[in-house]
Amino acid sequence: MSRSAVVARDVCKEVSSGGASLTILSGVDLDVAAGESVAIVGASGSGKTTLLSLLAGLDLPSRGEIVLDGQSLSPLNEDARASLRAGRVGFVFQSFQLLAGFTALENVMLPAELAGLADARARALDALERVGLAARVSHYPHQLSGGEQQRVAIARAYCGQPRILFADEPTGNLDTATGARIIELLFEMNAAEGTTLVLVTHDAGLARRCGRTVTLREGRLE
Amino acid sequence: MSASAGMYALRRLRRGWRSGELLVLTLALAVAVAAVGAVDLFTERVRAALAQQTGETLGGDLLYSARQALPDALRSQIDASGVRSLDVVQFPSVVFSDAASELASVKAVADGYPLRGELRTAPDLFAPEQRAAGVPAPGQAWADTRLWQALRLQPGQRVRLGAIEVEIAAVITHEPDRGTGFTDLAPRLLINRADAQASGLLGPGSRAQYSLLVAGARDAVAALAAMPLPEGVRRFSPQDARPEIRSALQRAGRFLDVAILAATLLAAAAVALSARQYGDRLKDEIALLKCLGARQGFLARAMVAQLAVLALAGCGAGGAVAYLAQGALAGLLGSLLQLELPAAPLWPLASAAALGFLMLLGFAAPPMLDARRTPPLRVFQRATVAGGLSHGVWLAAVASAAGLLWLATGDPKLAGTVLVGAGASLLVLALLAALLVRMLAPLRSRVGVSWRFGLGNVARRKRATIVQVTALGLALLALLLVSVVRQDLLRTWQNRLPPETPNQFLINIQQAQVEPLRAFFAERGQPDIQFWPMARGRLVALNDEPVTVDSFDDPETQRWINRDFNLSWTATLNPDNRIVEGQWWGEAGRGEPLLSADEYAIERLNLKLGDRMTLDFAGERISFTVSNFRTVEWDSFRPNFFLLAPPGAVPDTVPRQYLTSFYLPQAQRALLRDLVAQFPNVTALDIGALMNQVRGIVDRIVAALEFIFLFTLAAGLTVLLAAIEGTRAERVRETALLRALGARSTLIARGLVAEYAVLGALAGLVAAVAAQTVAWVLAAQVFEIPYGPRPSLWLIGALSGAALVAGLGWLSLRRVLRTPPRLVLQQGM
Repeated sequence: MSRSAVVARDVCKEVSSGGASLTILSGVDLDVAAGESVAIVGASGSGKTTLLSLLAGLDLPSRGEIVLDGQSLSPLNEDARASLRAGRVGFVFQSFQLLAGFTALENVMLPAELAGLADARARALDALERVGLAARVSHYPHQLSGGEQQRVAIARAYCGQPRILFADEPTGNLDTATGARIIELLFEMNAAEGTTLVLVTHDAGLARRCGRTVTLREGRLE
Repeated sequence: MSASAGMYALRRLRRGWRSGELLVLTLALAVAVAAVGAVDLFTERVRAALAQQTGETLGGDLLYSARQALPDALRSQIDASGVRSLDVVQFPSVVFSDAASELASVKAVADGYPLRGELRTAPDLFAPEQRAAGVPAPGQAWADTRLWQALRLQPGQRVRLGAIEVEIAAVITHEPDRGTGFTDLAPRLLINRADAQASGLLGPGSRAQYSLLVAGARDAVAALAAMPLPEGVRRFSPQDARPEIRSALQRAGRFLDVAILAATLLAAAAVALSARQYGDRLKDEIALLKCLGARQGFLARAMVAQLAVLALAGCGAGGAVAYLAQGALAGLLGSLLQLELPAAPLWPLASAAALGFLMLLGFAAPPMLDARRTPPLRVFQRATVAGGLSHGVWLAAVASAAGLLWLATGDPKLAGTVLVGAGASLLVLALLAALLVRMLAPLRSRVGVSWRFGLGNVARRKRATIVQVTALGLALLALLLVSVVRQDLLRTWQNRLPPETPNQFLINIQQAQVEPLRAFFAERGQPDIQFWPMARGRLVALNDEPVTVDSFDDPETQRWINRDFNLSWTATLNPDNRIVEGQWWGEAGRGEPLLSADEYAIERLNLKLGDRMTLDFAGERISFTVSNFRTVEWDSFRPNFFLLAPPGAVPDTVPRQYLTSFYLPQAQRALLRDLVAQFPNVTALDIGALMNQVRGIVDRIVAALEFIFLFTLAAGLTVLLAAIEGTRAERVRETALLRALGARSTLIARGLVAEYAVLGALAGLVAAVAAQTVAWVLAAQVFEIPYGPRPSLWLIGALSGAALVAGLGWLSLRRVLRTPPRLVLQQGM
């Protein structure tokens, strides 16, 4: 059995809302092996995005434990968790989350720069070429189409050569044809880099491309 | 600083400046630095010019001065010390040419003048100047350019001075010692010492100033400077040469301080508003950066780098403007001060820059650094983790405001007062704003769709609206206040002298001349002229305790009682005098040894009603009982006295002279020529020229104040911009959404303009109320002039607020209305 990339053990997440406690996730166990691709599916409000943010260390569970790339997140403060993500974890978001004032190249360079890599620029140029945007490196996000923006986001996700990639509804804001092209690109890059992929989606086609699909219903994994 | 944090900071700043979100912040910073820097640079130049005064500015190393001829004992002391000395007499007198007359400051000098520095003259107006080879020969006189022009002089022309005529032989182009006192405002006539006595202008009661210039070895001069002085003699060193400039600077400084404080506070408010908005916008980015692995250290370095570049940009731009502005100030006030100003040093800019840094540290750094607390989860859950500002941010802002005000004025008391005042005003503004917003709610159902949309926005964002109205109100308050101070207060102050204000003073009138003078005036159609008797007495005892200079610690009181007091007597009180305590004696007081004291005398001598003051009139002592206190309008240009007694209280044996003032139209100035010819010992003072000069000075000072108020105005506009920019992002999104939902651009535009107009009108109303209150306080406390409420200002405030804010709001959003909604909604961050 290969090493685990992400592990969730009996994870619960509760938030207080209007004085009452609201359970979003309850008793979630999940083990994602290195190099595996897993789709998390479920109805709206089932807790998919919350689970993704916990697995990536963006938040801590109310109970239970998360182990990311062999490191338990519970004893780590926010800064240490950010440090763990730098250079190891990539993200692709539904709303692209590109910095508006930064060019495509500057957006892509950012994670490599944060990880302290000296060749951030060369890597970013290479990543942009791989997603087919070599000609648009100096364009700003508002000068790019939705599909192009998501390609920049994918280039950014792979620029730091992460071991794990988290994607939240990567095709949710795109039309079917563009979405399909983005899926191709995502899996192509994933195969080439040997990255572990954890994605949240409503898109059955996208889920089917993953090695495994897990379903969340009312905060519990089925 | 890691390269990547620095790079990120630079890219972020580039974006901030391009999109305008940092422009207001940088602008506000620059305005504050420019205002403080300009005034600091200018005052430093004047200070440096004063410090550099050498013996040349005095015409010697020391100057002794008295109202009478200097005592022989002092002369022998000075002669014994081995220094050179020279007599100078100076007195005001009207000089007559064939065509005109002019009040001049006459100076009579002997060979050897000046002991330090040089006199330069020219043979005719605008001819090349040269070093004077001596002083005017007896029978000749030299006049300065102003006198040449006023009297339309020609070389060799003869002018009348008292009982003599002198020939004008040269133009004075440089006189080392333009000394002190009001006569210095008058143009100069330089004559030979030998002619002074012959002019008949040095008789009893003359306004002459007798001086002795001294120059010699440093040790001998230092020894003389340390010697005790006989009574009535004053001693000046070069550094004391221009006390009137120091006091003028001090007075003008208060006004400038108020303008600077207002500019600084407004700029700080604009910086705080902009930085808070910038910090809010950074939150999304910070959450994403944290997702991508950014640590606190990286974020802190990036923020500090941004603040440092902002400081450099704001302080740099502000410093450059300050340097140019101080040049303009020097242009406005420099010639007035008659000082050769040295080049502006750069170091005062350092303190202005320090103020800029402090402003950033206190108002911009906290909300920006606070944004680092944003959790990475915000990339998914924007609304749930918005959060307010921490207490530290507010604490930092208040502490910085106190520091800023202290740094801007160097006066902790003034800074504290202004800070408390500003806090209270903000609170009142906010309460008024809340009240007005509440009153608007019922209007919504009675207006058209555009207005309903606009009013709906105002009501929906109640808290944001109150903050915005308060900020806009603050800005409009500054704008209105500038206009109120300029229009209402300064103009009233300038124009308070009515046209028929006396413009001529006659002094030094002997008792026997009163009736002939009355006849002289009656013949010329001025029968009602009033003569004021005046006796000079020295205070020798207070409540029967002997009084000397040493009885008082306060130097001003020491100087004051060292001179003779001018005492007059009357049964009727002039309208520019008002009794504040006790009773006016009227006719009933005739012959009673009573005294009426003016506020200055009360304050200096700590007088109480019933105190006994003993005055020595040339050997005759009289004790008076203080029976009432008066306030006097000293700037009414009528004769007034610190001390008044009832008629008959001063026996006829006491020597006295008379004085009078009257209005003489320009066309009847020939009367003065006849008067001086007939009564040569009477000194005529042409106060008209003096009044014009005083008006000229006031005009210049007002111009300088208005110039500094421009910075206050600019700071007010930055607050206005910051307040409008604050909700811009939200409006951009809403507008796009409404357009996507099918609302026509014209409807949205009208709604937005309606909303901004309502905001502006509310803010303008709030500001007008506040401006009136502040103007009333200023009128009562600073300008001491009456000022009543002006309801039209409320209307002006509301209308101009509505127009200004709607206009600026429209400018800020008009591009958005033309952008396809898809692009706006797509742009996200």
